[in-house]
Amino acid sequence: MPSAHIPSAETLQSFEQDINRIRDNTLTNVGQADADYIRNMIRFQRLLDLSGRLCMVLGFLHPLWWVGGVFALGIAKILDNMEIGHNVLHGQYDWMNDPHINSRKFEWDNAGDSGSWKRYHNHEHHTYTNIIGKDRDYGYGLLRLSNDLPWRPKNVLQMVYYWLLSILFEWGVAYHEVAAERIFFGKKRKHSSLPISREQLKKDFFNKISYQMFKDYIFWPLLCFPVFFQVLLGNICANLIRNLWTSTIIFCGHFTEEAHTFSEEECKNETRGQWYYRQILGSSNLEGPRWFHILTGHLSCQVEHHLFPDVPARHYPAMAAEVAEVCKKHGIPYNTGPFFAQYFTVLQRVWKYSFPSSEGKQQAA
Amino acid sequence: MTTTTTDRPAPSRTLWQRLARSLTQHDSFGAYFEPLIQLALPMWSTSGYRTKVLEVRTELPDVYSLVLKPGRGWGGFRAGQFVQIVAEQNGVLCSRHFSISSSPDHYARTGLIELTIRVQDKGRITPWLRQQFANGGWLRISAAQGDFVLPQGNGPVLLLAGGSGITPFRSMLNQLRAQNDNRDVQLLYFARDNQHFLFRDEFNRLQLDNPQLNITLLDNEQHGLISAELLQQYCPDFARRQILICGPAPMIALSRNILTDMQVPQQNIGFEYFGAAPIDQPRSSSDAALVAFRQSGINVDIAAGESARSLLEVAENAGLKPVSGCRVGVCHQCICQKQSGVVYNTRTGQYSDTGAGEIQLCISVAASDLVLDL
Ligand code: FES
Repeated sequence: MPSAHIPSAETLQSFEQDINRIRDNTLTNVGQADADYIRNMIRFQRLLDLSGRLCMVLGFLHPLWWVGGVFALGIAKILDNMEIGHNVLHGQYDWMNDPHINSRKFEWDNAGDSGSWKRYHNHEHHTYTNIIGKDRDYGYGLLRLSNDLPWRPKNVLQMVYYWLLSILFEWGVAYHEVAAERIFFGKKRKHSSLPISREQLKKDFFNKISYQMFKDYIFWPLLCFPVFFQVLLGNICANLIRNLWTSTIIFCGHFTEEAHTFSEEECKNETRGQWYYRQILGSSNLEGPRWFHILTGHLSCQVEHHLFPDVPARHYPAMAAEVAEVCKKHGIPYNTGPFFAQYFTVLQRVWKYSFPSSEGKQQAA
Repeated sequence: MTTTTTDRPAPSRTLWQRLARSLTQHDSFGAYFEPLIQLALPMWSTSGYRTKVLEVRTELPDVYSLVLKPGRGWGGFRAGQFVQIVAEQNGVLCSRHFSISSSPDHYARTGLIELTIRVQDKGRITPWLRQQFANGGWLRISAAQGDFVLPQGNGPVLLLAGGSGITPFRSMLNQLRAQNDNRDVQLLYFARDNQHFLFRDEFNRLQLDNPQLNITLLDNEQHGLISAELLQQYCPDFARRQILICGPAPMIALSRNILTDMQVPQQNIGFEYFGAAPIDQPRSSSDAALVAFRQSGINVDIAAGESARSLLEVAENAGLKPVSGCRVGVCHQCICQKQSGVVYNTRTGQYSDTGAGEIQLCISVAASDLVLDL
């Protein structure tokens, strides 16, 4: 795997100042336009959601209505999870003081309980990005994506797991923390920093799942009874569209060929500059038009998202140009590329680490 | 210090709320549709009443009144109560509490209420409100709150007002007038100087109408602060009266001390703070801040200023267990509701607003007395 040569302390310090400056400049411009933007995005999402569900029912007139409806609902779910939910849950809009657009209260249209996601993603993944053993988002405990993990025979099939994970992604999100805390299977963790009781975690897990299942697979289909199966199938497809899209984007953010991993020792007592450096090396950007950025919840600017997780994401593309420049100035690699090219390297990576590599053997020896 | 923190049980939901939860991921359908409804009705909300600002009337150079028409469903108020107003300033929903200075009778007749507001030096909201709503606009108000109201019956009353603390009393006096209630009322109204008395003409008229009403204006330049002598001089029979005090915190503290020294029983005294209620506890030095953790009832005395300890550490040292994660301001796990007070954000280098708002405990330090929901 590519090993980065660590920049000198002075470089990191001036790098830190440059990155801070980008952040401060952006923050002075955060205000009414951002509030209007997220409200309008929410409005658009709600209208799309409702019209998608309505069109789906009209499928009995012509199947194209159904297709359109599924598509609209899928996009609505993507917007809800990515551009709205993910960003609101990161606290990007907490400054608005709006009780419904706020990281403490927001809940998304996803099987995963947002509280649980916030704990493992906002905290662990964003603090310990790509540190093997600390960042449970890294490979989701399912995939071997670097030589830091020893190869096991089951890894041969990991391309299949990867596809299954993509198809069932929301369930992965839901089950992630529960699995890590070994709530149902395995031995209880010795050291757990779970701030709520295990009972509560279990309850939240089941609650959220049942709310989601009831809505998409019972309530709406039953409400439109004569077309029960049509609506049921439509909802399944819409969830599938969302799952495939979100998992693809997220994998492109951290598991492209160039993305680095780190060990725990490397990150002890790191300065802000080192932290920034690690965030940049562990993430990769995707290039595309504005609508593409929005559909990814601006995770297409994964680097900027990791540097500034609580800055409203619509500023990322503008910040990206500045960050890239700063990186160039300090000789720090900055990984960006068009979507399909980046995605291809993800697949390559999943494939490559399915097998024991000669490099890995040497390291182990 | 020993404390117990209990996991607060999640409020149990009704069937309807569960349905809303399931279908909309919100606790009510209204909350889900709120952004859409706001397209047609600006400032509409599931919490609070959307309210039209009709006029901003200048009372004194630094004092103005907002004339408001509360929206449908607003439940009215009793003279002396206050409302919370919420207005959007550069994308931020800011809230402040103000006493209603007009009377319930005025509301019954016209459907309007008035809030009389002093422009705070360096304040973020009070100067802005005046400009923002000069040509009208929409904001949101809460239901009327508070129990700072005239005592029942028609016993004699003494009202002590300091500065803009006069506003609830204006409401009470006008209400008495409207009800032809001629109870014996003494009002001692203290202000900085002779230019700073509000509603002078109105008070003169009220006095003419009711021989039992006596209003004395005492300016600090000429008479000094409230004192036992002034009380003796202008309201010698204060001991037999129910007493209501409203004004800035030092004036209230002073008045209460004087009255207590003069053996007035506590239950005869009612008072209301303007702004945040100060935390009643001795402190280690004059620039120390007191942090009151409201839910656990713990007060902590700490050093204030930009180099002070983070509030997360303060809370943990006090034995509380607030949720936290990264401890460096990234994850937003440690968000906590601040009721009042100013905090300094060590990450952005900015000071917060004085009113209610959310803060990240791990990167906030106290810059004044604080009340936190913990
Ligand atoms: S603990 Fe992570 S933001 Fe405060």
